[in-house]
Amino acid sequence: MSSYTNFKEFYDAKLLPELKVLDKERKQVDRRVLLIGLIAVILIVIIGRFRGSATSYFQILIGVLAFVIMSVSSKKYRLNFKNKIVLKIAAFVDENLVYSPKGFVSREEFTNSAIFQKFCNNFTGEDHFKGKIGKTVIEFSEVVGKHKTTSGTGSKQKEHYTTIFKGVFFVADFNKNFIGHTLVLPDTAEKMLGKLGQNLQAFSSRGELIKLEDPEFEKEFCVYADDQVEARYILSPSLMQRIVEFKRKWNTKVYLSFRDSKVYIAIKMDKNLFETRLFKSIVDYNFIEENIRFLILLTGIVDDLNLNTRIWTKE
Amino acid sequence: MIYAIGIFAVLFLLSIGLYNSLVRRKNDVENAFSSVDVMLKKRYDLIPNLVETVKSYMKHEKSLLTELTALRAQAVSGEISDDERVALENKISKGISGIMVAVENYPDLKASQNFLQLQGAWNEAEEQISASRRAFNAAVTTFNNKVETFPSNIMAGMMGYKRRTLFEIPEVERQNVNAKNLFES
Repeated sequence: MSSYTNFKEFYDAKLLPELKVLDKERKQVDRRVLLIGLIAVILIVIIGRFRGSATSYFQILIGVLAFVIMSVSSKKYRLNFKNKIVLKIAAFVDENLVYSPKGFVSREEFTNSAIFQKFCNNFTGEDHFKGKIGKTVIEFSEVVGKHKTTSGTGSKQKEHYTTIFKGVFFVADFNKNFIGHTLVLPDTAEKMLGKLGQNLQAFSSRGELIKLEDPEFEKEFCVYADDQVEARYILSPSLMQRIVEFKRKWNTKVYLSFRDSKVYIAIKMDKNLFETRLFKSIVDYNFIEENIRFLILLTGIVDDLNLNTRIWTKE
Repeated sequence: MIYAIGIFAVLFLLSIGLYNSLVRRKNDVENAFSSVDVMLKKRYDLIPNLVETVKSYMKHEKSLLTELTALRAQAVSGEISDDERVALENKISKGISGIMVAVENYPDLKASQNFLQLQGAWNEAEEQISASRRAFNAAVTTFNNKVETFPSNIMAGMMGYKRRTLFEIPEVERQNVNAKNLFES
């Protein structure tokens, strides 16, 4: 796996020419978007001069229409950035990494992890990466899972979508064999309520509460499993330490689930990764470097959790 | 009168609750102990295989292998006290580690598929044993907390429950197998 050290050379040699071409496209898109915006504003002002009950509806309609045209006209440019730049960055990080801009981790994997209890009615995502890092098969993508609730009855029935999870969902082959299910969840109850919170956790429907001996780990996470011994077989003292360090590195909510000899990791994140930008030059080393930093962090999970160590019976 | 009955009823219910939770904790401890036992037995099963595989390669460690076989026979016979058992387990751990280290001198053996599989199985058994010991220690800690804290300590006293001791990780296992050790021998 490559690291940052020679990324600058790679950037100068391989990315810079492409970025320059793409930046020209960006300028065209910028002009188009500005023009559409200007026309929309003028139309909205003109309509505003008419009196009538429908004017505000027209104004909203034009606003929405302009927004749709803007995003459609910049779509090709955004996709070009992914296909030309992110694809190359992926190959630089690891040659076995396959990138598909529109793909995402399957809903089955997301559901199988059982990290989130609410039913997922709407599941989308983008920026899917898959490959074998050393001995470990991994895949990850950005995903958004939504849960549908309905209120009212008959013709007044309304649907609401609440976000269950937004962020990066990561699946990797775990280095030990196991049969049960072990869940590592962010510890909110214990953090807020202390000892009382810990007592409340025991009444969860998630499974048996596992009390582990690492105090740092216990402070950050609470663990449920269907087998006390297996949970400890998976969560060895060194893995617990690694998970704590991993969590601190990302500094966001991290959920882990161990099932079917795989590890599922959900990293909560509001930022949309691997996207280009408008109205600012993309021939910018720092801007591109941020993308590779995230990618290295994500593929680095294999090392963070020591998944390539195969000293047990699993090949 | 009503109040007296009320207070009595509450106390009665409370003591039932304490009694049951203590019994549950004690059973947890026993259950955890038996899982340690299961994992240790899994390791015994590996020993004949291991001895069989390395026998034809190893020329200078014959005595080590005979000793290990004898130790296993002793452990499986089951006619030993708990303390003796612990000492025996430590010897077995040490014996197997010794063999794993000696393997470094036999490149053919080290590369053989049979041995690699055994090594994986052995690592797994060790990891399982350590996991089950940790589970046992967690169960004992919860039990001890119940036995020593108020008000369950009163009930525990009446039931004759006493503090249980934690599994200590034997010295041989505490020293992690490090690469330096492997290459020195």
